[in-house]
Amino acid sequence: MKRQAMLLIASMLFFVPAAPAQTQSSAPTETLIRNATVLTVSRGTLRNSDVLIRNGKIAAIGQNLRAGANARVIDATGKYVMPGIIDCHSHSMIDAVNEGTLSVTSMARIRDVLNPTDVDLYRELAGGVTTLNILHGSANAIGGQNTVVKIKYGRPVEEFIFPGAPPGIKFALGENPKRSNFPPLPGQPRRYPATRMGVEETIRDAFTRARNYKAAWDEYRARLARGEKNLIPPRRDLQLEPLVEILEGKRLVHAHCYRADEILMLIRLAEEFGFKVRTFQHVLEGYKVASEIARHGAGASAFADFWAYKIEAYDAIPYNAAIMVRHGVNVSINSDSDERARRLNIEAAKMMKYGGLTEEEALKLITLNPAWQLGIDDRVGSIDVGKDADLAIWSGHPFSVYSRVEMTFVDGEVFFDRQQDLVRRAELERERAQLEQAEPNRPPAQGGAPPPAPRPRRTAYEHADDIWDGGDHDQ
Amino acid sequence: MKNARLRIFVTIVSLCAVSLVAPRCGLLYAQQQTSVEAINTYAITNARLVTLAGPTIERGTVVIRNGLIQAVGPDVSPPADARIIDGTGMTVYPGLIDANTSLGIPAPTPQPTPRGGQGLLAFLTQPSTPAFSSPNSPYPPGLQPEIMAADLVRPGGEQIEAARSAGITAALSAPREGIFIGQSALINLADDTPQQMIIRSPIALHIGFTPLRGGTYPGSLMGVFAAIRQMLLDAQRYDQAWQTYERNPRGLRRPELDKSLAALVPVIKGQLPVVMYADTEREIRRALDLAQEFNLKAIIAGGTEAWKVADRLRQQRVPVLVSLNFPRRTTAPNPEADPEPLRVLRARVEAPRNPARLAAAGVQFAFQSGGMTNMSDFLNNAARAVENGLSRDEAVRAMTIRAAEILGVADRLGSIEVGKIANLTITRGDLLDRNRRIAHVFIDGRPVELRPEAAVGPPSAGASGAWTLRLVSTEGREYDLTLNLQQQGERLTGTLQGALGTADIANGSISAAGEFRFTARIEYEGQTTEATFTGTVTGNEMRGTVQIVGRSPASFTGTRTGGPPSRAGTQPAPPPSGSTDLSGTWNLTFDLGDQALPATLTLRQQGERFTGTLQSALGSSEISDGAVGTDGFRFTTNVTFGGESFTITVSGKVQGNQMSGTVSSPRGTVSFTGTRPQGGER
Repeated sequence: MKRQAMLLIASMLFFVPAAPAQTQSSAPTETLIRNATVLTVSRGTLRNSDVLIRNGKIAAIGQNLRAGANARVIDATGKYVMPGIIDCHSHSMIDAVNEGTLSVTSMARIRDVLNPTDVDLYRELAGGVTTLNILHGSANAIGGQNTVVKIKYGRPVEEFIFPGAPPGIKFALGENPKRSNFPPLPGQPRRYPATRMGVEETIRDAFTRARNYKAAWDEYRARLARGEKNLIPPRRDLQLEPLVEILEGKRLVHAHCYRADEILMLIRLAEEFGFKVRTFQHVLEGYKVASEIARHGAGASAFADFWAYKIEAYDAIPYNAAIMVRHGVNVSINSDSDERARRLNIEAAKMMKYGGLTEEEALKLITLNPAWQLGIDDRVGSIDVGKDADLAIWSGHPFSVYSRVEMTFVDGEVFFDRQQDLVRRAELERERAQLEQAEPNRPPAQGGAPPPAPRPRRTAYEHADDIWDGGDHDQ
Repeated sequence: MKNARLRIFVTIVSLCAVSLVAPRCGLLYAQQQTSVEAINTYAITNARLVTLAGPTIERGTVVIRNGLIQAVGPDVSPPADARIIDGTGMTVYPGLIDANTSLGIPAPTPQPTPRGGQGLLAFLTQPSTPAFSSPNSPYPPGLQPEIMAADLVRPGGEQIEAARSAGITAALSAPREGIFIGQSALINLADDTPQQMIIRSPIALHIGFTPLRGGTYPGSLMGVFAAIRQMLLDAQRYDQAWQTYERNPRGLRRPELDKSLAALVPVIKGQLPVVMYADTEREIRRALDLAQEFNLKAIIAGGTEAWKVADRLRQQRVPVLVSLNFPRRTTAPNPEADPEPLRVLRARVEAPRNPARLAAAGVQFAFQSGGMTNMSDFLNNAARAVENGLSRDEAVRAMTIRAAEILGVADRLGSIEVGKIANLTITRGDLLDRNRRIAHVFIDGRPVELRPEAAVGPPSAGASGAWTLRLVSTEGREYDLTLNLQQQGERLTGTLQGALGTADIANGSISAAGEFRFTARIEYEGQTTEATFTGTVTGNEMRGTVQIVGRSPASFTGTRTGGPPSRAGTQPAPPPSGSTDLSGTWNLTFDLGDQALPATLTLRQQGERFTGTLQSALGSSEISDGAVGTDGFRFTTNVTFGGESFTITVSGKVQGNQMSGTVSSPRGTVSFTGTRPQGGER
């Protein structure tokens, strides 16, 4: 008995959990992927080709490439290499989604609430995804500031931030900001606005205030420049500063929307104030106003075939993405769901069936197009020399339901490796067995509360748009 | 000087004697008497002295005079007027400090049923009526940094007594709720008035990152950071604006006065530290980011995963107030339950290793109780930190001098040195041994009364069992009661039934000699009131007195009619005859006026007690204090909504497979009904 206790203490003292496979930092500076079918996205499909990765960048693409003596060489014969998938609408890795108390919450920042340990990130890597646009929810006409991340699972959060990605912000139109599906809770007043007219007015009012704010600062700076003394500077307003950045073209607007009329409304309003909407998100009726969206210069980030979950989502068709592409809109397919994010390849493939996009056009929906929408197409989105080595090796063509990801690279480092994952599962089971023996993990000797009954994890994810729009469900 | 005070004293005494005037005079008299006549000199002799100011003195004397340490050393001889405590076999430590609590600060008062009587959902979503609101603040409660713990603390109370009995002499105290929670005070856990208790105020501004409730901005973690950032920026401008204005007001519109922003000015200038509540790695990183952004003098409180951020904590010179409320599994084994997440299993094992890792990394830290309910865990878990690699010396320091250093009071507290405040914790056995006992506690130079330490031992048959009691009031009225007691070590739990209603007993304790004490809510002469039972158990007899609020005391005698119940866990007792077995799964519906909230209640009954879980759209929670009698059942549980936890009390009656009753909460009462599907798990 005593000896057992000693063993237990010893095992507790000396047992150090194995470092997760994906956090190994000793990545070779060179990796050569040999003899793969390379879906470059920008320049078609290259058969029997090599991709050389050096210092986190794609250094060469071609046949019979040579690497240094220390390079890691991966034989990808019969396998496919495609750029890392970019999800232009994600709510993974955040501890809060909506600041739903006000209709204008541009001061809220997704960057403040990132959770780099969210296991969904690992699952997304396993689906070949490398970049996420993490958005605020759609409870407010003007929501919070988004963050674009590279999925460097296992690393400190600072390393996730996509370097140089332009800042952005979430807008929302229609039922969610007017709270039609979220009646006020007992004892609480209804939040303004309650109509689409009110949503427009809310945005117009905010930008009018932002203009005045900018003018106040301009005047202060001018007086300061004239040498005036004894001045009290205007108040720094964190709500209006991001809106000034939008007016100055420095911040991208990602607007959640459904109906054609509200899409046209925001285009008119943006043009009145002299800014551009970068993407319309969801944009289920985008096919009705595709020319107008293209003329404004906005992108569209849509679902493949997800609709009818509320009134404003009834007039949807699966040809939406293809019709917008044919009208010259930059279109992406997004997930808005931790679950769907793992299979965006299949979502993109559907667009070949519905609307007859070519393979390359369909691939662009989840790579180069969302890269443009996020202003990072000079860095990612295709397999081109000089771009970041964010890519995945697939067992077969990524548009086949039978294919799966074997390895996912971010900046040339492996963050998902199917073979290592299989090994690690056994390690985790051993760790679990050991941990369960540890004193604080053992059930109380007598009594104790019954454990919670099993229940499905995050059921609400089935209705991603609604839950994330909800605000009230958050936290 | 002394003569002068004595003269004043004599004058006051004669004045009182002559005129027998106002009670004020009496008060002055009492104060003067204390300063002149009460014993204020003590010497603890022949004790081991862990001074922390130098090497430990294996055998020495500490002299306390007038609240301060007057002398300490191996060769000190006690003064003639000192009361001498023979410290042979005892160890004297600097008085322990709990580095973050809400001790002495009243809990929020329960609110009446909300408008419209919409029930559960309404109370959960109502603006939290905070315990404290600052008049004329332009900000909502929760964003009022000017709230001062020093204005709120009150002496006495159950929690202060419990902390003291665990050897804790002083505590950092701040209100419980909010984002800008308010400014903390360091208090001594004794003395008669708030003014006497406070050692120093303010110590720090406390920041919690809990969103406000009831639809008030900020209602999410994102908003919390945005709101903090905006207010700190506003405070910078406020300071600048007033300086500019005061220099030359002519031609300038005067800035608005804002007491909340004014309270933040010392914070943004780095003059007042900020205690930020953060446990997980990411919470700590966020807090450190915020501190860096505004150049705040940060202290992390909680710090469960601080070891993962140790390098950065050291580089930014941020100390940690480490919670000793280490997590441990509280749920019973069940093959049908989901396996616990690896993350949870890891966290429970890592928590006691955290202090040693922080020490190794050179991060400054002190211990705090972290809201633990059983204060004896404070020392026991410090001992677990030692078992997990922390040196004993560092562990003792983390409860004394390190806390004093971090809180900026090391010049007056935290070690046994001449001239420092005479707070001492005196033990039999080493402070960090599991079987140590707190022998004496001195606070401000005076010994404090200790409650019997709640040792965790096996259930003892001492007082356990069913008792028949007869209570006789001063007026001669008689009441018959049944008392079911369960003794565990020095802890006493159980229920009271009969002529005074049905109630759980609370705060029960019993000494080895059989002297016991407990409280219960009773129905006495038409009123529900609190009664305190004190008495002695001798064999199968007990006798004692009952103090009833607002009444003259009553006496009671009792005999044991039933043996101690079989031990829970080994052999579950059958449900008491005449009452239904509640075990099984119940489908409940809470009536919220115009809405119905479904819930599932899973119960397991053992004798007259039961455990279980309540699951609803508001989450899943374990129930506690479950008790069932002939006239119904009762339990409490915590419901979390919007990041806040509420205690609700559920009581009701069962008939076969039907139940009905009420749920009461601090915000109101709603009714519910329930059924137990046939053929379900029993």
